[in-house]
Order: sequence, then C-alpha cells, then structure tokens
Amino acid sequence: MASTEIYRYLSLPKLRVALDPEGYLVDMNDWSPDVAKTIASEEGIALTDEHWEVIDVLRDFYHRFEQAPAMRPLVKAVGKALGEEKGRSIHLMRLFPGSPAKLAARIAGLPKPTHCL
Amino acid sequence: MANDKALGVDGDLLVILRHGPHGTSWLREGLDAALVAAAFGRRVTLLFMGEGVTALVPGQKSGPLGQKGTSPTLEMLEMYDIDTLLVETEALALFGLRADGLMLSAREVEAAELDELASTHSLVLTF
Amino acid sequence: MLLHILNRSPATSEVYRQALAAMGPDDRLLLIEDGVQGALGALVDRFAALEGRLYAQEEDLVARGLEPLCDPSVALIDVEGFLTLTEEAQKTVSWF
Repeated sequence: MASTEIYRYLSLPKLRVALDPEGYLVDMNDWSPDVAKTIASEEGIALTDEHWEVIDVLRDFYHRFEQAPAMRPLVKAVGKALGEEKGRSIHLMRLFPGSPAKLAARIAGLPKPTHCL
Repeated sequence: MANDKALGVDGDLLVILRHGPHGTSWLREGLDAALVAAAFGRRVTLLFMGEGVTALVPGQKSGPLGQKGTSPTLEMLEMYDIDTLLVETEALALFGLRADGLMLSAREVEAAELDELASTHSLVLTF
Repeated sequence: MLLHILNRSPATSEVYRQALAAMGPDDRLLLIEDGVQGALGALVDRFAALEGRLYAQEEDLVARGLEPLCDPSVALIDVEGFLTLTEEAQKTVSWF
C-alpha cells in the first residue's frame, strides 16, 4: 500500500519527488519517465525498451484493477500483453532483479503490490 | 469419497463471501485472503453466499466519499487464476438477481450442495 | 466431520441459516458467545435438524444467566470440551 510518510526525496533537476520508507512514490501523480529512470538508476538499472514495455503493462494493470500485481499475475499480464516468451518469471528477474513485482512497481510509480508478502 | 459427489469442485481454499460491497470491510478482506493464497499458488474457490451475491451486481462505482469499490478487484481475480466462482442459488433469488446478469460468470450452487464444498477444500474461511 | 462454530443469536441474525445450509450430515454445531441464545428452549427448534449434534459453550450460558433456560437436548461443553470437539473435527468453520 502507498504510504503517506515522506522518508526522502529523489533528486532530479528542478524537482523534488517524495518517496516513502520503502522507496515508493508518496504521490503517484509525481511519476514521469524521468522519475522512472532516476529510481531505476539508483538500483543500477539502465532502462531499455524491454523494461519500458513491462512498465507499460504494469501501469495498464493498475489502471484497470486499481492495484499493483504480485509476481504471478504480473507474469500472466506480461505474457498476455507481450507474448509467451516474455511472460516468464526468468525474463522479469533479468530485467528487475531481486523482487521483480516490487521493483518494477516502484519504477512504474505504483503503490507496493498488495498481495505479495 | 467426496470426489464421487456431483459438484466436483475441490481446491486448497474455499473462501465464503457473505457480505456486500461498501458497508463493511468483510468482502475486501475475504478477497485479499483469496488473492494472497492464489499469489502463492494455492487453488482457491470463491463462494458468494447470502448478501455476498450483491458483490457481483454489475455497474458498481466507488463510494460517495470516493472510497474504492471492490469490483476492480473482482475483475482482477482471473489474473490470479481464481476462476472457480460459485454463487448460491437461493441468495440470487432472495435479491432478485440472475446468474447470467452478474458482472462475472459464476456457477450456481444450491444450499444443499454447500456441505460438499466445505468437505472438498482443505481450508474453509468465512468472511 | 467438520465443526461449525456460530457466535450470533438466531433471534437477531439469519447467519445460523447459512451455518445450517453448509453443514453436512455428520457435522457438529457449537454455539458460542451470543450464539448460545440458540440453546434456549424457546429458540432451539431452529436447530431441530441437528439431533444430538448441537453443542453450546457452558461458560457463555452461565455468564448470561441463561443456563437454567437451556434446552436438555443441547450438549453443554466447557473449554476442555471445546478443545476435544476441535480435535475430533477435520477442520472448523466459523459463522459470525
């Protein structure tokens, strides 16, 4: 769930974007592709087209269902949108290492996924 | 023994939803329990019982103060591979609803079949 | 055998009907908290179909002063009896 507690700010030119203690945006409306790039680069990730298409899938998912997906539904949504080859957890692990559902949601400017612990 | 019976629905978890949207948080909590279990790969069956059938009425909106409704969460169930949705026939009649007019497709079960469902799932949670 | 547990009074709530609907022929019903009102002679007919499979938590009846009004067909159990019922059941289902 999105927290309203401001923990720190993301440093962007001319912008102060508030993050909660877990690194999610405090205000989803602050999101922009530049914000995504900045969050990703803090994690050592340079966003490629393959990242962006997953970010789009995530933002569509949130738009439809008002929640960020856990890993299984994320894999399913990516598979539906981008084809079976990409609808695999190994693909998402490669793009967003560690905890793909959480990391990708953070970069996509969504709240923390509700149903993954 | 239970598998010989007519309904033939089994699974790891049966979540019985007995409350409608908006009035209390029971429905949301029940759906959350179902989604968490499904996210961990459990096979989940949802049963809409009593007032719970009103959760499936089409055309729901957010609340008067902008509170999120539960219908987007219901639409999301298939992404979590929760596709066994059951609805109590008697409750549909009580509310003047029809199974073919609900927002999601759900299979009707009669009250007399409910004991079979309780016995063919490893865990039963009521909300 | 499943143990169903009901904590709502049949005088104010229809939830007992849901419990009855979901019960199998060998399942047991335990009345607790306000549910124990269902054990009273005047209300116990709601559970007539259970014949010998209806239990009530004695402490909850005593606390409400209802024990003298309890119907003799209802088996009263204490906390230990509750544990035994739970152990004998494959699983428990709560109705509230």
